[in-house]
Amino acid sequence: MSSSPWGWDISSRLSSLAVLGTTGALLAALGLATPAASQSAPSDKLARSIARVYGDGAQVDTVRVDTATVYRISRGGALLGFAQVRNSKGKDQPITYLVAIDSASALKDVDILVYREPRGGEVAYDSWRKQFRGKTTGAPLQVGKDIKNISGATISSNSVTRGVKQTLAELTAWRAAGKLK
Amino acid sequence: MRAPSPLALGLVALACVPLTQLRFTLVAAQEQDQEHTTVGGYGEVQYHNLSGAGTPGQANLARFVVYLAHTFNQRISFSSELEVEDARIEGGEPGGEVSVEQAYLDYMLSPAATIRAGLVLAPIGIINETHEPTTFNGVDRPQFDHDIIPSTWRDIGLGVVGNLPGSSGLNYRVYLLNGLVASGFSADEGIREGRQEGHEASFANPSLTGRLEWARPGLRIGGSFWYGGSAAQDPALGTGTFDNAVALVSADARYDVGPFMFRGVVANVSIADADAINAAYGGQVASRIAGGYLEGAYNVLSKLAPASTQRLDAFIRHERYNTQAGVPAGVVRDDALARRITTFGLTYKPVYNVVFKGDYQLRRSRAAVGQDEQLALGVGYQF
Repeated sequence: MSSSPWGWDISSRLSSLAVLGTTGALLAALGLATPAASQSAPSDKLARSIARVYGDGAQVDTVRVDTATVYRISRGGALLGFAQVRNSKGKDQPITYLVAIDSASALKDVDILVYREPRGGEVAYDSWRKQFRGKTTGAPLQVGKDIKNISGATISSNSVTRGVKQTLAELTAWRAAGKLK
Repeated sequence: MRAPSPLALGLVALACVPLTQLRFTLVAAQEQDQEHTTVGGYGEVQYHNLSGAGTPGQANLARFVVYLAHTFNQRISFSSELEVEDARIEGGEPGGEVSVEQAYLDYMLSPAATIRAGLVLAPIGIINETHEPTTFNGVDRPQFDHDIIPSTWRDIGLGVVGNLPGSSGLNYRVYLLNGLVASGFSADEGIREGRQEGHEASFANPSLTGRLEWARPGLRIGGSFWYGGSAAQDPALGTGTFDNAVALVSADARYDVGPFMFRGVVANVSIADADAINAAYGGQVASRIAGGYLEGAYNVLSKLAPASTQRLDAFIRHERYNTQAGVPAGVVRDDALARRITTFGLTYKPVYNVVFKGDYQLRRSRAAVGQDEQLALGVGYQF
């Protein structure tokens, strides 16, 4: 064991520095490789999301129902459906998502617009979201029943599922009451 | 250049209407990304009664935890977890602990890479990162997650977390953290007391830890590692960064299918130069620590009350581990450390983040001495 004039072993410091340096270089490389504009504004995300769910070129009109904002989607005068942006609380951050129904009030898709938690982002995966497609107010829409839990993301799974169920119920009720046409 | 006709201008204006409306009505979504602070927490109250005479039951506010998180902007956020154990701390009395279990900053570059720095949880196994009482069966965390994976294992450093681009459901976490200190290792609790937990921690042995995880609805599979020295520049052990290296590998799986839930974890810890550690500190530290557990649960309400939104899970867990699976020359194996713990009980969840628990534990070892049984009751919450 050699001791340097500074009272510590220089080879140990050098190897520590080497580890730190490698990590730093890795981080820098990752940072440079990441496109700066990958985090776009929510409004662009919403427009893209609606286009993805209903197809390109759909007309989007904003309708106010009581205090809520609903998007009415149509193409060439034919109604395609309605969509709403909702927030549900995850572990400690809100999850922002789009709930889209078709002209027969069946769920067309659920799209996670912004997920802010450090973990549990798997609710944004298509393999989970596709479970909602085609469901109507008659479905249980409950984690552990017709919606599979994401192990390790239980809070997000439950929170989004409950939000979707409530949104679907409200949109369907508004249509029945003639508030959405 | 010819001026555009009023008709063309009108058409352009019309075409723009839906877009302007979209921007205008998105206030609700954008508000969530303005600077804000959120508070959350979890807690658990427990009652334990050991079998045998002269062991009265004991009630304890085991954990009271506050989460504090702050979002600075779309990319930068802070997360923390402050914990009080055993309700209070009194000078000269055993028990009680106040600790910051997590406190870190996240800088999100893209979904593929978020840089994280601060006091973080080692990404190993299931319980260490996800330990809220509503997430596991049984009043107590598995004993495996105390003696083999020393939960709650947290240390200071920096790293990167994210989803692997182009993959479906693969995510990773890699950290460089301050390392373990061999003087804390023991025969019965393995590397547990070697953690520094961000308490004026020595950075003499920076350690690498990481995890790769694959998730799809109902299933999550993960693999984790830890590698780093533990000599802490004690001249008796060595001054190199990787002297007295501790190497841990672990694999885990969680599978939910209909009313059934399964989970399992295995881990293996190798301690190089355990003989040198024992020579320096006079312990009986093992050269290899290994074990695992398997658990199955069934939601009985799925049959008894199919319409119910509540859950009542009957579960059984079997743990098998040995903190002296391998010993260096000069250490005589203690068979009492080859533990076999079976726990069975009920987990009742009226809503998904409130839990009432009851279980019975059979604690055995290869030595067939010091065997006992324990009844435990508990309540827990998370919000």
